[in-house]
Amino acid sequence: MARFRIPWMVLMALAAASLGFGFAQSARQQTLVIGGDWTDLITLDPGVAYEFSPVPILDNTYQRLVQFPGTDLSHVVPDAAQSWDIGSTPDGGSTITFHLEDATFSTGRPVTAQDVVWSFDRVIQINGPSAFLFTDVAGMKVGSTKALDDKTVQLTLPKGVNPQIVLNMLTFNIGGIMDATEVKQHVQDNDYGQKWLNDHSAGSGPYMLDRWDRGSQVVLVVNPEYSNPPSIKRVILRYMQESNAQRAAITSGEIDVAYNFTPDAFKQAQQDSDLKAIKTDTFQMTYLGMNSGPGAPFADNRVRDAVRYAVDQGSIIDELLGGLGRPMQTIIPAGLMGADTTTYFPYDIEKAKQLMADAGKSGGMSVEFLIPTGACGGGVPCADLAAKVQSDLAKIGITANIKQTTSAQLYTIYRQQAAELVLAAWSPDYPDPNGNASPLADYNAKSLAWRNVWNDATGTKLATEAAVSTDPAQRKDLYAQLTKYVAQNGPFAMLYQPVYPIVTTAKVDGFARSAQGDVDYTAISKQP
Amino acid sequence: MLAFLLRRLGYLIFVVWGVGFAAFFISHVVPTDPAAAALGSNARPAQIEAYRQKHGLDLPAYQQYVRYMVDLFKGDLGNSLRTQRPILSDLRDFFPATLELTLGAMLFAVLFGVPTGVIAALYQDRPMDLVVRSLALMGGATPVYWLAILALELFHSRLGWLPGPGELSPYLFEPHRVTGMMVVDAAIAGDWAAFGSAVRHLVLPAVVLGAFSTALLARMVRSAMLEVLSQDYVRTARAKGVSGRVVVFKHALRNAALPVLTVMGSLLGSLLTGAVLTETIFSWPGIGSYATSSAIGLDFPAVMGVTLVAGLAYSLINLLVDVLYAVFDPRITYA
Repeated sequence: MARFRIPWMVLMALAAASLGFGFAQSARQQTLVIGGDWTDLITLDPGVAYEFSPVPILDNTYQRLVQFPGTDLSHVVPDAAQSWDIGSTPDGGSTITFHLEDATFSTGRPVTAQDVVWSFDRVIQINGPSAFLFTDVAGMKVGSTKALDDKTVQLTLPKGVNPQIVLNMLTFNIGGIMDATEVKQHVQDNDYGQKWLNDHSAGSGPYMLDRWDRGSQVVLVVNPEYSNPPSIKRVILRYMQESNAQRAAITSGEIDVAYNFTPDAFKQAQQDSDLKAIKTDTFQMTYLGMNSGPGAPFADNRVRDAVRYAVDQGSIIDELLGGLGRPMQTIIPAGLMGADTTTYFPYDIEKAKQLMADAGKSGGMSVEFLIPTGACGGGVPCADLAAKVQSDLAKIGITANIKQTTSAQLYTIYRQQAAELVLAAWSPDYPDPNGNASPLADYNAKSLAWRNVWNDATGTKLATEAAVSTDPAQRKDLYAQLTKYVAQNGPFAMLYQPVYPIVTTAKVDGFARSAQGDVDYTAISKQP
Repeated sequence: MLAFLLRRLGYLIFVVWGVGFAAFFISHVVPTDPAAAALGSNARPAQIEAYRQKHGLDLPAYQQYVRYMVDLFKGDLGNSLRTQRPILSDLRDFFPATLELTLGAMLFAVLFGVPTGVIAALYQDRPMDLVVRSLALMGGATPVYWLAILALELFHSRLGWLPGPGELSPYLFEPHRVTGMMVVDAAIAGDWAAFGSAVRHLVLPAVVLGAFSTALLARMVRSAMLEVLSQDYVRTARAKGVSGRVVVFKHALRNAALPVLTVMGSLLGSLLTGAVLTETIFSWPGIGSYATSSAIGLDFPAVMGVTLVAGLAYSLINLLVDVLYAVFDPRITYA
């Protein structure tokens, strides 16, 4: 009898192994592995995080009151709030009243208006790097958010704050709603639960945080309380700083999505039938800043116009970026309300030379050209981009002497209004045209207009009016005037709007990344 | 011996102080602003000022130094500007992975470097010796960066023999953290699937990191062996009829071990601190990766923490080598 036992055991072992293999297969199909450089992750607390990498993690773990529909960022749609009304206060301010729908936190507790109040007040009390969005941009204080009943929450905004801007801003992770009861249980040393939230989540989004192994991976698992279970049950963000490492790992199938392909590698991926090369939007702008203060090299707008005509945007995008950018010449990029995609300055060397002559600079001029180390938007080395700009400007008699520094040092100089010509990038702090209009056009905002010493009454007036206008049509009209005015008079020569290259394996369906960096993991599925 | 140890440990304080002072000095002459780096390009002047005040960056350099040293003597390396966490807990998180990688690389270097060096010495100037010497030259001259990318492309992407970047397959669950070294923790947990995956993940980065050390070790062993093999006592042993194996391993190798030991000590130190590139390419969550992102983010307290720990590790390893000297060579005593 004993002799027959062995084959049985072998068979059973084989069956178990194949069963295990089947499980492994379906586990693979339900797991999405994303390789990227996540080294900017320092916190997973939605009320504090203000870096790029946490955006998709937090947007998938915490519901906000409102959200953008997928990659369309021109209007908001319901998230935790099913509807909202905008009203006004006697002193000229406004209110937004949100009506919550039924939702459950991953902890099992229902989402209530009190949780919203606590989450928003907490942001202001912690006063982290993103809190200025609430306190400065929205003029909110502790007490501005009130629970009218369990399912109704009211936000009171002071005079001069535009509720449309606040709605757009609430789509950002700062508006994440957390389970107040849960987080309060994990407060240590008065930290509002910040420490605990780095290794746990307490939101009502489709996923919850399983673990964050610093320097190694962030793991999200599906929230068992979420009403509509997604096809991907586990999302793993693996730290992979090197683009070569990402390329090797996606070719072998060890990762499904790669975030940091170089333009060259992206070009190759476009030819590879096993991969999908996706160009995703950004709100970033790569630009030249020209010091326009009295006595500065670019004080005369004709010289600034000459630079704008002399920069060959087309060849920068095609040759240097390998197509990973789109032309732009105004201060509001494509994708945002009020975007202006007009070409005000077609490449025209003769016209540029004429403008230099009109400005009395036909003998040429020499400026210091400050550029950062590393890669600029679209993955092109900043040094290469600067060399191209340098050769374009040389054609109209401007000698740009390149000085390359770390970006931290560059911004130190730039902030002191001490840069003559600078190569830099800008992204709005929140996805609303005012996120660009005010810093780039209003000198008093002490941001880009200020750094380039461009103190212009029209720019300031238009930006301020558009910021407070609550009539969408009027706002759009004001931004049309402003973008045209700054394009033709401002201190910038825009170079391009980078697109963000993402590569997935051909098996991944439904991957889309918004210009804000958000990715809806529930929309993704993986073929076997 | 005890007096020697105490004296050396006493010196250690000065070494660490020196390293700390140098790191502090360098980080403060660099003409850049950590606040600007931490807050990004959009930050307004008021935000930057507040940040500098909060972290004491607005104080004169000597005051910052005194503050730092006082904390250091209390065993507090300060908080990272970037992660906002105590640097000690950051290092606790990242150091074990580096230690694991370094030990893997050292193991590879010893397993391959020592025998090849012995073989090369025994077959001096014959084809075998030539092969070993050429390989050693190549190993010593190949940049780690290039070797890492090449190895990843060939053995992972093309041939599929070994897994890619990271410590563990993403489809496996990490074992409970005990030592922080994935291979050890998987073994402790008895999770053999994770253990296998962790070992396989360790192979490529360890070999890449260890390549230079292997080459250097092979050359050192070869020349030390050649010197010893020509000594009178080896000839005598051979004349007495002692078997070839005993002559090589007992008489020659043990005596050749002394110079090799010195090299191994400094190699271990340089592996610990030199893993920056390897860790970055292989996405290894060690202090090399931590140091890179800290340096890019101008996180000076973190960079100084890594520097201090590296200096300490280097000194301790050197001390260990000196102690081992006495073990290997009875003529050496310390007082």
